[in-house]
Amino acid sequence: MRRSEIQHGLGMTMVLISGTMLFATLLMGYAIYRTSATAWPPMGTEPVNVVLPLLSTLTILFSSYFMHQTRVQFADHKKAKMNLDTTLCLGILFMGIQMLFWNELKSSGLLVGSGIFSSVLYGFTWIHAAHVVLGLCSLVWLRLVFKPATRNLDVKLLNVEKFWHFLGAVWVIMFLTLFVL
Amino acid sequence: MSGGFNEIHPEPTTFWSKYIISFDHKVIAKQFLWYGIFFLGLGGMMALLIRWTLAYPGVPFPVIGNILFPDSAGIVPPDSYAMLFTMHGTIMIFYAITPILIGAFGNYCIPLMIGARDMAFPMLNMLSFWFAFLSGVVLLISLGLPLGAAAGGWTSYPTLSTLIGQPGLGQTLWSLAIFLFGISSTMGAVNYVTTVITLRAPGMGYFDMPLTIWGLWLTAILNAIFVPVLGAGVILLMLDRVFGTTFFLAGASATAGNGDPVLFQHVFWIFGHPEVYILILPAWGIVSDLLSFFSRKPAFGAKATALAMTAVTILSTLVYGHHMFTTQMSPLLTQSFMTLTMTISIPSAIFFANWLGTIWKGSIRFDSPMLFSLGVVFVFGLGGLTGLHLGTVTTDLYLHDTYFVVGHFHYTMAASVLLGGFAGIYFWFPKMFGKMMNEMMAKIHFWGTMIGLNGVFFGMLMVGYGGMHRRIYNPFIYESLQRLIPINTFITLSAIMMGAFQIVFVINFFYSLKKGPKASQNPWEVGTLEWTIPSPPVHHNYDVIPVVKCGPHELGNPNLKNGRDFQYQTEELVQG
Amino acid sequence: MNWFTLSMPPKDISTNGHLIDGLWNYTTALCIFYFVLVCIGLFGFSFLYSRKRNKTPYYTYGNKKQHIIATAVIGAAVFLTIDLNITRMASNDLLKTFWAYPDPKVEKVLRVEVMAQQWMWSFRYAGADGEFATGDDVVTNNDLRIPQGTKVLFHLTSKDVIHSFFVPNVRLKIDTIPGRVTRIWWDANVPGTYDIACAEMCGNPHYLMKAQLTVYTEEDFQKWMKTSEQIAQNTNDPENKNLAWGWKWEI
Repeated sequence: MRRSEIQHGLGMTMVLISGTMLFATLLMGYAIYRTSATAWPPMGTEPVNVVLPLLSTLTILFSSYFMHQTRVQFADHKKAKMNLDTTLCLGILFMGIQMLFWNELKSSGLLVGSGIFSSVLYGFTWIHAAHVVLGLCSLVWLRLVFKPATRNLDVKLLNVEKFWHFLGAVWVIMFLTLFVL
Repeated sequence: MSGGFNEIHPEPTTFWSKYIISFDHKVIAKQFLWYGIFFLGLGGMMALLIRWTLAYPGVPFPVIGNILFPDSAGIVPPDSYAMLFTMHGTIMIFYAITPILIGAFGNYCIPLMIGARDMAFPMLNMLSFWFAFLSGVVLLISLGLPLGAAAGGWTSYPTLSTLIGQPGLGQTLWSLAIFLFGISSTMGAVNYVTTVITLRAPGMGYFDMPLTIWGLWLTAILNAIFVPVLGAGVILLMLDRVFGTTFFLAGASATAGNGDPVLFQHVFWIFGHPEVYILILPAWGIVSDLLSFFSRKPAFGAKATALAMTAVTILSTLVYGHHMFTTQMSPLLTQSFMTLTMTISIPSAIFFANWLGTIWKGSIRFDSPMLFSLGVVFVFGLGGLTGLHLGTVTTDLYLHDTYFVVGHFHYTMAASVLLGGFAGIYFWFPKMFGKMMNEMMAKIHFWGTMIGLNGVFFGMLMVGYGGMHRRIYNPFIYESLQRLIPINTFITLSAIMMGAFQIVFVINFFYSLKKGPKASQNPWEVGTLEWTIPSPPVHHNYDVIPVVKCGPHELGNPNLKNGRDFQYQTEELVQG
Repeated sequence: MNWFTLSMPPKDISTNGHLIDGLWNYTTALCIFYFVLVCIGLFGFSFLYSRKRNKTPYYTYGNKKQHIIATAVIGAAVFLTIDLNITRMASNDLLKTFWAYPDPKVEKVLRVEVMAQQWMWSFRYAGADGEFATGDDVVTNNDLRIPQGTKVLFHLTSKDVIHSFFVPNVRLKIDTIPGRVTRIWWDANVPGTYDIACAEMCGNPHYLMKAQLTVYTEEDFQKWMKTSEQIAQNTNDPENKNLAWGWKWEI
């Protein structure tokens, strides 16, 4: 392995450890709310419609797949670029679906201040979305420097890819714990 | 692992790129140093205001009281008092100690002591400082708000820190500032860990690193893992305050509240306990090195010290619950946290054995850095041992939230870390600025600080045991506490004295910076890598990346024949 | 009085406070022992091995057998005296005494509900009917009165922010947390009046949040209780929101 690969890989690993701790803290909090609550969702609150979250899960999974394809087809620059574009589009689509989802929550009468159930739903998805925005920024940056001549392009791609997969994984866990369980 | 990435960056030419958005770790270290010293002064002034109020309640603060509190004729009012101790804690921990010990020494020492030309990610390093700067600005702005800055204690326990207890914008800005600072710390940590792992000079194994680097490295690991936990906590707090979520709201006053205020305490201390080790580990490392350097003999059991540090690092993540004994966790948890807390005494005992072993049969030079290091051994002894009373759950039921706690953590976090930081400043000042500091003034500074801080913090232990609880504006409305007035006055006078002696340091610092005698390349005659290059080092540190051939503490080797009593790390170990 | 006596904690009025004081003394004795050791090393070595007195340092890494044994012995001593012993004693005291709550069904226990709010303590006694959250509860503000020699069991909660119920004379404190009920018990045996303080920062007037603890003899307490129950039955206003904070007593 080249030195830059080791170094940037290690740096990204540390970033991901930090991110993991952040989301782990949130999920720990959720576990405590969930186990100490007498009923979940609390009495008088309808369970959330999972269609939109399911859709966003699929979107982010697909985007992760295309991100992976970008690296697999790295040798063919044109194809790789197209995969990267698709990832970016799916990422933006994910944010769009999230916004629809918040809208739906709001119209169903579940406001941010309606108690701990809605706090968790809104708060956690917001925090995740904020990270997705960061991820999208790094994707855009990668797209801008995505030229064959760029130095260490494969390392840059690898690290952005790791971050993007991380966001996908966090969302899948959130989807399973917040909406399915 | 050499060459390649460890390249020479072109030297910046403009003022802007040289001093402001510099990527050079040495400049960033100095930026952090100025930043830290500024906030140290601010936090220290706040401490004096607090102490004044406790000793002379209702008496106007001399000289500047009328300017600061015109509405109350110079007397510190209760709301400002709450703001002061909140900001004193926040500033000292996040904006003074962290920048000086981790920001300044971390940035300065890591690349130089491991033989690298810069940090692994210079730009991240620059961003780390400017995020810290931004965070400091946000905090300072909050001091000027109409409703005042955060006033819920530096721990900011909800529900006091939610809108129920703190309606003003100050607490929101506090959370924002801490979050920004967390980003800065995490960036720094990512950088330090990567640098230490990948950029060590060829030949330098982990146990060939100076113990300073061990301390900073472990600190960085803890930072990267646990600062985000606090980040999550303050994000949720901010959501509660700004968007009306109810994560930490409960009780009759919270209308939609079925959240959990204790969750914040868990989150805060999961971060907070490692944080105290984040602050003390660099000081431990510096002290372990300096004791060896100035005793002119190798560090006693250096490997054991490094491993004990690692053990403490791991244990520190498992003991946070001892801050929460009075919230009545389950007995099983309480017992586990107590037992784990107590086990920290074993690695701590190993530190002390090794520190004393290091000066045993040495040939001790009592230069100022050594005096400060010996001071750390003394105050950390007191601070560490008083921790036993607090880690024990039953005595903690009495002592929790009294001044005993305040005295204890000031001994460990303020006294030890501050003395360790001063030791580091006196030690590396010649390398950083190429000038020597005045030794006489340094010694005056040491004795003044040492006597002052023991007066302050031992006094706190005494009033705490006497039953005086924390964060009260006027303790003497309790009849049972009125007997403690003389001790409180004594603490305040000691604090004023300690503060006065810091002026000696400031004068010495700036005077030496301008007029100090020029420092030689190696004024302390020690062999770690940073002393093999000129003072101050050139922009890229090392013309040739050094090759390490022996450990960092090769002093007093009787086989040395070249007129020196130490050898550089780049030299082959002289065998008999 | 010298400062040493001044800084002694207030008089212990409870049956079990001596456990905490005893453990404190044991821990302090150990601390002094170890700290004296550190000081002997620190000052002794500084004196003996200064540059003037000892020109040639002893070149050692501290990895000889006797060095390792010495370090290990220190570690082991700390482990035995501190870790094992203090932890054992504290665990015993905690589980067998301080957090072993008396059962009102089995023995004679005075039950008190405590509501903390900014910046006041309210205490609630069951009243004549022995049930909480009924119209005849005796409610006092910042004024806790208990009989001598009877176990008193408190259930505490808070209305707004976290407070901490601190009674220095019985060496105990417990946080009061909005949304939960915490528990504490003691029995006091020295009649007199004492301070109750809030030990957790709860807002700017935190320092004003103090209450008085009165320990009566058994007869005096019964007398006071009788009168208070009478007054409560006659004058308690069911519409008064300030009185309505009680809850059913649950174990």
